[in-house]
Amino acid sequence: MTDAGMKFLAIAITMLAVMPSAIGEGWVVSHSVDGIARNPENYSKLRTTMILGCSLVETTAIYALLVAILLLFVAR
Amino acid sequence: MDIIANLKSTELAGGVVSSCIVVLLMVILSIYIGIRAHFQDPLKRPKGLLLVAEVGVNFFENMAEGLLGKNYRKFGAYLMAVGVYMFIAFIFGLTGLPSPITYMAIPLSLGLSTFILIHGTAIKYNKFRYFKRYIEPVPLFLPVNLISMWAPLLSLTLRIFGNALSGFVIMSILYSALEGLSASVFAALEPMIGSWNQVFLAPLVTWILHLYFDLWSGFIQTTVFLSLTTIYVGQEIPEDLLG
Repeated sequence: MTDAGMKFLAIAITMLAVMPSAIGEGWVVSHSVDGIARNPENYSKLRTTMILGCSLVETTAIYALLVAILLLFVAR
Repeated sequence: MDIIANLKSTELAGGVVSSCIVVLLMVILSIYIGIRAHFQDPLKRPKGLLLVAEVGVNFFENMAEGLLGKNYRKFGAYLMAVGVYMFIAFIFGLTGLPSPITYMAIPLSLGLSTFILIHGTAIKYNKFRYFKRYIEPVPLFLPVNLISMWAPLLSLTLRIFGNALSGFVIMSILYSALEGLSASVFAALEPMIGSWNQVFLAPLVTWILHLYFDLWSGFIQTTVFLSLTTIYVGQEIPEDLLG
């Protein structure tokens, strides 16, 4: 295994952090769909909150992506 | 003449120059709208750009009112300044010039202005009791508190920067891939038009992704930044002042 290979492996491991973030985002959406099904008249409010929550959860994945991109520049 | 010669000799990063263009655009627009609003008859219906500006001001003031209460409707001014700048900076990449947000300095300065606003608000309402938060619950926690003080700044900065940069990188990868694909699909045209056979496929695919990565992502990130700013500032204002 070469040095560059190890660096690319590190990038792959970094991107594993995206997985729990995706699961969390799925939870956010599933629960807000539950909420919308219970009282559909709150749809617009719930949608705004859902998108806000989604992008907050997404932040972790974005940090991982940022680290991965930085590592990619190092690995070149 | 000296200034121009100086400007030519200094090498500014592309993002900083486009940030200056965005600011110039905003200043010209604001002055124009201000003059129009000054001479507008308040009994008549506003038209054109003035109507858009009025709707925008109303939107941002309602946002501030929703999170901070009636007394802080004027906080919408800060939200509007930051929000409009950030959204234009996000979609500035569509013009083909370098997008300001993909340079770390621009998100950092946006985050820093919010950070200063948060601590300024805290000092304004708490006076000297402000410093007490660093030695709570016991003075032993001082180093931990001093480090955690910077958390909002980091999270605000890296959230926008990471989002814009990831979109930018994905788009550049896609563009270079489509260039190669187009060159191999239209290889027969090479004797006639040379390397121009690289340009055919990219315009068919990339516009949808530009809609997502520039417009949609810019809008969402701007909304999140403004909400977080309002919530952070709202935490520092005493409960009884919030309406």
